[in-house]
Amino acid sequence: MTTTFRPQTAAASPRRTSERVTHIRPSRGWFDLQLDEAWRYRGLLATLVQRDIQVLYKQAFLGAAWAIIQPVLAVIIFTVVFGVLMKVPTPGSIPYPIFAFAAVLPWDYFAEGLRRGANGLVNEGDIVRKVFFPRMLIPLSGAIAPLLDFAIGLGVLLILMLAYGLAPSWHIVAVIPLALVAGLLALAVSLWLGPINVRYRDVKHTVPFIIQIWMYASPVVYPLEIVPEQWRWLYALNPMVGVIEGFRWAVTGQGVPDLTAMGVGLVLIVVLLLGGLVFFRKNEHSFADLI
Amino acid sequence: MTDDVVIRAESLGKRYRLGAQGKRHNSLRDALASAVSGVTLRAQKPKGEFWALRNASFEIKRGENVGIIGLNGAGKSTLLKTLSRIVTPTEGEATIKGRLGALLEVGTGFHRELTGRENIFLYGSILGMERGEVAAKFERIAEFSEIEKFLDTPVKHYSSGMYVRLAFAVAAHLDPDILLLDEVLAVGDFLFQKKCLDFARSLEQRGSTILFVSHNMFSIKTMCPRVIYLRKGEVVFDGPTDEGLGLYERDSKLSTLRWFQPTEMSTAEITNVELFSEDGRPKTVFDFGERLRIRISYRAPKAVAAPNFLCTIRRLDDVFCCNFSSAADGALIESIEGEGSVEILTQGLRLVSDQYRVEIVIRQQGFESIVAAQTGPSFHVRHELFNAEVFGVFHERAQWSHGGPPPDPRADPEKRKVPGTV
Repeated sequence: MTTTFRPQTAAASPRRTSERVTHIRPSRGWFDLQLDEAWRYRGLLATLVQRDIQVLYKQAFLGAAWAIIQPVLAVIIFTVVFGVLMKVPTPGSIPYPIFAFAAVLPWDYFAEGLRRGANGLVNEGDIVRKVFFPRMLIPLSGAIAPLLDFAIGLGVLLILMLAYGLAPSWHIVAVIPLALVAGLLALAVSLWLGPINVRYRDVKHTVPFIIQIWMYASPVVYPLEIVPEQWRWLYALNPMVGVIEGFRWAVTGQGVPDLTAMGVGLVLIVVLLLGGLVFFRKNEHSFADLI
Repeated sequence: MTDDVVIRAESLGKRYRLGAQGKRHNSLRDALASAVSGVTLRAQKPKGEFWALRNASFEIKRGENVGIIGLNGAGKSTLLKTLSRIVTPTEGEATIKGRLGALLEVGTGFHRELTGRENIFLYGSILGMERGEVAAKFERIAEFSEIEKFLDTPVKHYSSGMYVRLAFAVAAHLDPDILLLDEVLAVGDFLFQKKCLDFARSLEQRGSTILFVSHNMFSIKTMCPRVIYLRKGEVVFDGPTDEGLGLYERDSKLSTLRWFQPTEMSTAEITNVELFSEDGRPKTVFDFGERLRIRISYRAPKAVAAPNFLCTIRRLDDVFCCNFSSAADGALIESIEGEGSVEILTQGLRLVSDQYRVEIVIRQQGFESIVAAQTGPSFHVRHELFNAEVFGVFHERAQWSHGGPPPDPRADPEKRKVPGTV
């Protein structure tokens, strides 16, 4: 039936500016990533990140001070356990606290991004079920929001270095691309874990273990040199190895970054990321039905 | 797509797997267990599936207001979710021209810890507004919400009414070309509801297209000249509202009332509700002022002591007109058991010319738990003059007189004394 029940009012709507035509159809194709749409929604991404930051330390007595307390406490614990009691050697003359801090910083950023990215879809279930937007924004905002804590931590590290009488060299600018790499890795892993978490909530319980095991598989509390030579190639498959080693080099200016390890890590990240995008898009249409 | 068609759906369908929906593997263990049994037993149960929406085709033109009606589970929400791209259709396709705003639930995306002000920006963004746009409309949104004083309070301290006001205020300023509304106007107090309806009308005047899901037939009737009626996922009617509502009415007859959730306390069952004239002839069209005889047949496997029979008359657009209660009328029914019937003879009905529906509720022991709740038949009242548009719900004769100017209040107080008072 195509009866018109109302005179057309097209003339009365000069405000119409967008005549975007949207096609809705069953999802098809493996490589229909719709990244352009994610870009169109960048305003919402900014809002989600802003919200995560606003909410983070609300109703906490110490408020944003936690952004400083958390990494400092971790470094103190690591220094006591690994630096003082176990006497883990550090390369060159870097004091253990600086050695640990330079690794805790990118590590915490990566871990937090992963935690948010993997759990985000389920935690944001309400809006996923009732509002349309590219779901990719959720792991993306998960990887972006912890950058603020990261920046604050970096400031603390620089102050700590000055207290130890160490001046950062020009290498310090490398922390920006290194943080980007850590963020991309967190995003890449989230793109895999997030959709699995929607279907199997086991992921939520698994993530803390993944993060813990991954930390001990990365040179956070110990130097790379402690790993036996014949296993280095396997070790380098962990992209965080390159990131953390690179970070130590960027901050302290000592040693030489292992470009091979970093290259291997980058290739892995790209593969994980592209695969993750396809996997995520493939499952995206079912999120609202399953959450 | 011709120029003035803004939504076109072609054989839209959404299938859900019962395995995925009802007994989905929410833990890996279940998945592993069923995978193992699948391998070893090679006898996986055939998974059930159902179509929440099937073969839905329609065109909606610019500026049209269309109501989506249907019983629970008919696919109304699935249709809106598909058009708003929250879920992906299994088959078919739809084309949408212009900016689409969907309000499937008011306040989804609010963050409890954030203030009203912060939430306006957050919610606006989630609904699809640009940040600059929210900023530009901020004053109007705040004013519309009527809670300007609390904008800097975290919304977790808001009452539910304030919460809804704020959310709707944001949503109302979305200013879309096409608006999908799912039952969202059914919130807030009466004045706010009116405000919302007025707002929907103003959108209409500006040429927005509105798709509106509601169980409130009154809103449907006032807002939409056209309805799409869904039954079990399929479009069974698409046309003028009156005709569609009649169809809907016929389908909802003698079904359990929508709000009623049967429990183990609901022991009795209403087997039939019939309407007769005063002298006992079956009837569905009554004249204004005629008495109505309603017979309620029941079956009560277990005895129900001192039941209170309630008979509600509701206009077809859901306006609640009146209620007859055996307890309120002092008619004591000691108990009901087995099969039987109860009869009501009303006074001459003063309801205006329209279509009405009877609803029966049986409560235990006066006004306690409900043992049965059922919709009954519908009937028409006929009168050439007294209709709902002009005369409201009922018509009662009044005494009129025409004198000179009204009595002067400063006149002799003795004369103003109401007779009978000292």
